[in-house]
Parts: sequence; structure tokens; C-alpha cells
Amino acid sequence: MRGYLQDTYDVLCREVRRLVRQPMYWLLLVVLPLVSFAFFAVLFREGVARNIPVAVLDEDRTALSRKAAQMIDETPTVLVAYGIQDMAEGERMMREGRIAAVVQIPEFFEKNILSNRQTTLRAYISGANISVNGLLSKDIQTAVTTFAAGIQIQLLTKQGLTERQAMAQLMPVRFDRHVLFNPYINYGYYLSPSFMPMMLMIFTVMATIFTIGTELKHSTAGEWLATARGSVGAALAGKLLPVLTVLFLMSLVMLCFIFGVVGTPLNGSVWVLVASSLLFVLSYQAIGIFMIAVLSNLRLALSLGGGYSVLAFTFSGLTFPIMAMWPAMRVVSRFFPFTYYTDVFVDQALRGAPVRCSLPDMGCMALFIVLPFLCLPRLRRICTDKKFWGRL
Amino acid sequence: MNAFSRLGRQLASYWHQFRTVIAGEYRAIFTDPGVLLILVFALLIYSTLYSLAYGSEVLRNVPIGVVDESRTSSSRMLTDAFDAGPNTVVAYEPTDMKEAERLFFDRKIYGVVYIPEDYERRLLGGSQANVALYVDASYFLMYRQVFQELVTTIGRTGAMVEFQRLIARGADIPQATAVTQPVIYQAENLFNPYLGYGSFVMPAIIIVIIQQTMLIGIGMIGGTWREFGLYRKLCPPGRRRMSTLPIVAGKALVYASVYAVTSLYILDLHYRLFHFPMNGAAGTVAAFMIPYLLACITMGIAVSTLFRYREQSIMLLLWTSIPILMLSGASFPREAIPEWLYALGQVFPSSHGVNAFIRIRSMGASFAEVLPEIRTLWIMTIVYGAMACFGIHRILRREPCERGGEE
Repeated sequence: MRGYLQDTYDVLCREVRRLVRQPMYWLLLVVLPLVSFAFFAVLFREGVARNIPVAVLDEDRTALSRKAAQMIDETPTVLVAYGIQDMAEGERMMREGRIAAVVQIPEFFEKNILSNRQTTLRAYISGANISVNGLLSKDIQTAVTTFAAGIQIQLLTKQGLTERQAMAQLMPVRFDRHVLFNPYINYGYYLSPSFMPMMLMIFTVMATIFTIGTELKHSTAGEWLATARGSVGAALAGKLLPVLTVLFLMSLVMLCFIFGVVGTPLNGSVWVLVASSLLFVLSYQAIGIFMIAVLSNLRLALSLGGGYSVLAFTFSGLTFPIMAMWPAMRVVSRFFPFTYYTDVFVDQALRGAPVRCSLPDMGCMALFIVLPFLCLPRLRRICTDKKFWGRL
Repeated sequence: MNAFSRLGRQLASYWHQFRTVIAGEYRAIFTDPGVLLILVFALLIYSTLYSLAYGSEVLRNVPIGVVDESRTSSSRMLTDAFDAGPNTVVAYEPTDMKEAERLFFDRKIYGVVYIPEDYERRLLGGSQANVALYVDASYFLMYRQVFQELVTTIGRTGAMVEFQRLIARGADIPQATAVTQPVIYQAENLFNPYLGYGSFVMPAIIIVIIQQTMLIGIGMIGGTWREFGLYRKLCPPGRRRMSTLPIVAGKALVYASVYAVTSLYILDLHYRLFHFPMNGAAGTVAAFMIPYLLACITMGIAVSTLFRYREQSIMLLLWTSIPILMLSGASFPREAIPEWLYALGQVFPSSHGVNAFIRIRSMGASFAEVLPEIRTLWIMTIVYGAMACFGIHRILRREPCERGGEE
């Protein structure tokens, strides 16, 4: 044991010297993570979309139709940017990318309302961007409902009801909306805890593959193993400890960005998050080791490892829920530690769920750490057999 | 005469170098699994995997819980109405909010409706009944589906009650309808009627993948040329160094030919396979794709001159894929992006590409309607092309030909 620790320490010293000398490590482990965290912090600073341009086709041109258009304009996400003359113009503007929706107020809008007849107000909302579509449909619908309610109240008070009675009449079932955990429906609150770890993960995989892969590429693998006096375990531990330390520190910086700069609520246990971040970095290091050990080729391992990491976001279910995916894809989503990490994040940061809800996810992440132990023999072979060295 | 023969010799040498570069470049792509993986297969693999993940397109039947303290036929009817909607299913009927919370934290349900004990009494008594909705906003699509379904159902139930009350008070049917709903609101979703997630996000992803695989792949080849001094080795005999133009043109032609094949597959067969919207005339798509590919290629060559080792490009560029996708404004609403950051994102061909491509392919825009973007892409091709020439020229000056080199 004593010898093992000494070997690990020797490799560690060698590794630290290598890290400091090679500018690539500085970029991968410090500069680029910080740049990417800052990028997402700035990107999500506003968090909500406001004033999305839409056009109104007012075929009625009366006080009431203008009132309806104005109420739509006053909602937070909508900006009535254009008044148009016909539908063809609206369609063209939409295809030119200048507006996202057309609201059509029909002829005889006011007349119908005043003479107690139903009238129809139509909105044509582009579905090409469903997040914009969601915001617009919600706000336009709310505006129209409020507008209609105003009319109903007038009609009912004319029939002799008090305003209170009229309210009860037109809305027999009222609902209180409680938006849980993300009361401002802020994009930044849930997107930054997903994109920043994505970045951290990409750099973890790249750095891990690079630190082992360069030994093979530059035929220094023998020297590396010799420093550890032939112990692959010590060689690996000593090599990965410095990278792990820096990346774990970066993950703490990331948490500061998420909670401090973006302002994501922290309703649960910060210790679970810190522990999960450590597991997260470790699990992706494990995957990096696995890739380079199996492929024994720096560039191929980088290509495959990189490809695998970028996929994680889609399969995490943060934007398109795993629940909605095809069964086979639901299985695929289990093969990314990122999926578990984001679950922990949602549970602990946004929901404030009890710690027990996060333990299974942490357990799953820990399972990935088994990977390097499985490929230790293979790693020993590629580090001793010269035919694996110097390959491009 | 002398001038003519010099020009002839010059052209012949250009042609020779052009052919050498093309042959060398094809060899570099197809004999190198790492490059092949990125320049050829990444686009195909990614498009397929992402499309499969989004294959079901829409989220339906989100499980919710209803806490029914009223336990009356009216509250039963409301619960059944929630269950009957396409987007929600009443999976649990917990007895109290405590139990509902537990189900919620265990991810068994994603929303809770609380129907108070006095629900029916108030409804029948002509006053306002209250219902409390607890909807989880930690997953956006869930929030949207659940909330919309609940609000629509409650609105419909309320309208029915109101209508019955009016009739009971002696109103005739048209009058009651007009009071219940003076303004009918109808919303149509254009271009993507069921709001499919894949149809929304895949066009943007595909366009960004094209650019990113080019930047990384071309960078990898450029790094390899530098690392192994290929600029020297490919030098034709009798010349001091290679010329810039044949190198840039030869490289661009090779990449363009590779991507012409893969993008044709993606834009046609792949699109059909996954039923993505295929609007826009073929001519318009081609008129867009040509400058888009060229802008990406020239940018790729320009960037590739910065790399000295083959693995540098993937390590330094891979992470940019997601920020670049975000900056295109296609998945994250551009109105939520700070203005200056969005403006900065305009230096990437993908920002213009995604914008124009979605409008052509999803909305059926004509050539004239996307002309501004196409024009920008051609300008980018020229600007990045000039930068590529400059970058290559700079390398060539530093790496003169080897006389009697090995190999």
C-alpha cells in the first residue's frame, strides 16, 4: 500500500509538470470552461422573451377591434409591430422572418359584439419555433379571454347583475395557478443548469482522453508506466488526480455561476449537488479512460468521446422529456451520466426534493466509475506494447 | 511570347498542384478513420440519433394527480374531463396534498389539481367555485402541456355551467351562447400544426452540425498537414513553395463534393424517413445550400490554418456547437438573447443558415424571401475565402519546399 501511494505520488508529480507545460491543458481545464460558463450566464441573463413581433389584420377598424389589438399588444411577449391589409401580406412577412404570428380581427367584430352575437377572433401562429409559439399562444389567448370577459361583464351588468355576481356568472369555476419551483417561468433557471454541466462534461472527456492519449501518441506511455513502477492503478490514479481536482474546482465555479450569477433558486441540499458534481466529473473521466483504452488512438477516441458527450443533452429529457420518447430511446437515455446529473439538479436546485430522491441517481452515476477498472488489463497492454504507440 | 509561355507554365503548375491537393485531400479523408468519422459519418449519425430521440415528436398523457376533497358528481366530472384530454392522464387520486407531494417528488406525477370540499355546493349555489392548480415548471414542455390542458378543461366546464345557469334563468340558446362566449378564439399553428419537437428543432440542428463537422474536420486535416509538413511534401518539383490558390480551391472542391452527397441524403431521404416538413422549391433549397456549404468550407479552411496539431480542432471547437446553436435563435427565442450577443453570433454562417433554412424548408419561403440571407452567405464566402487564402499563404511562406525531401 505504501509503495502504491509512493508510485501514485511520483506519477502525480510527473503529471503536474506536464500539465503546467502544455498550454492545451490550461485552455481545456481553465480558460474554456470559464468562457463557456460566462457565455451561458450572459445568454440567459434576460431569461424571458419579450416583444416578439406579430402583425394584426384588423378588418373591422372600430374602437372595439382596436381595443382588442391593444390588449394583445400589452401582454409581455407580444409586440404588435405591423398592421397589415390582407392575409397574403401576413404570410409573406412570416416567410420573410419578420413576424411570428398574425392576429385576424374579422369584419363586423364590434357590431356583432354589441348586438349580442358571437364573433370569432383568429390567430395564426408559426409553429416553426415551438418555444416562441408557446409564449405567443399563451399570451394572445389570455388577452382575448380577458377582452371577452370584459364584454361579458358589461352584458351581464346590463341585465341587472352586480359586478360580483357577473364575475361568478361568467367564471363559475375559478382556478388559482401555482407554478411550482420556477415561478417566473424563466428559461435561464432551467437551461443554465443543463448547458453549463454540458460544457464541463465536454472538457472533462476531452482532457481525460488527451492526457492518456498523448502518452500513446508521443510514445511516452512506457515512461509513464515506469514512473508508477509498473502499477497501472497507480499510473492512472496519479495521472487523473490533478485533472480531477481542477475539474472539480471548476464544477464549484459552475455552481457559483448558476446560483450566484444566473440566480437559479437553490431549494434543496447544496451538499448533494456538490457530491453529485464530483460523481459527475468522475463518471465522465471514467468514460474518457474507457474510450482511450479501448480505441488506443488519440484522435479516434477524441472523435468518438466528443460525439458521445454532445449527444447527452438531447437524451437528458430536459427539453424533450424522456417520457415522450420511444421506448428504445428511453433505454438509450440511461447510458449518459448527464441524465442522472440533471435529475439531481432539478430535484435539488429547483424542486427542493428530499435527499432520498437523488440517491438512486447518484448511485447510477457511481456505476460508471467501474468502467476504468474493467479496462485496466487493456490499458496495461497498450502502455507496454510498442505497437500501440505513435499511432495517429 | 516569353510572357505567354510563362503564363502557360504557371497555369500548368497550378493545375498540377490543384490535382495533387485534391488527391491528397481525398486520401486524407478516406484513409483516416478519425476524419472520416467527422466529415462524413457525424452528420449522418447525429441526424439519425437526434431524429430518433425526437421521433415521437409530441408529449402526450402526462400523469397528474387530482386531490378531490369534494367527492361529488360535479368534481368527478371535472376529474374525468382532465383524464379525457389528450395531454394529461389522471394517474393517481391521492387522498391529501401530503401524499400528492410525495408522488410528485417521486416523479410519478407532474401536476396536481386540488378540488376543495365546497366545490359542488358553490357551483350549484350560483357562486364561484375554486380549484387550485399546482404545475411543475422545472420541465418546460411538461408545464406547457399540463397547464394548457387543465386551463382549457376548466374553461370548458365553466362555460357549460354558465350556459346551463343562463338557460335556467330563461335566456334562449343563441343569447346564452353569446353571453357565455362573445368572442370565440381560434388559434392555428402554421407550418408545424401538431407542434412536433423534432420538426421544430431538427432543421436547426442539421444546419449547425454541417457547419461544426466542417470546422472540426477541416481543422483536423489542416492540423495534420501542419504537423507532418505536408505543405512541403506535396510541393511540385521545380517550385520553391506551393501556391495558395490551388490549395484553397482544391480543398474547397473536395469538401464540397463530400458534403453535396451527405446533405443530399439528409435533405431528401432522411427528411422523408422522419416526416420533417419538406416545403420550398428544390431550386431554392439548392440556391441556399450552395453558398451555405461554401461559407462553412471557407470559414473551415481559414480556421484550420490556426491549428498546428491534428487533435487541436476537436478539442477546441467541439464545445462551441451548443452555444452556436443557441445563438442562431432557432431553439432559444432570439428575443430573449441580449442584443449584442445575438449580433456577435452573426459571424457564423449557421446563424444566417438556420434562419433561412427553416423558412425555406418549414415555411416554404421563396428565393426572393430569403435573398437577404443568401446574399450574406455569399459575402461570407468571399470574406472567409480571402481569410483562408491569407492563412494558407502565411503557412506556405513559413514552410518552404524541401529539396530532395524524404518519402
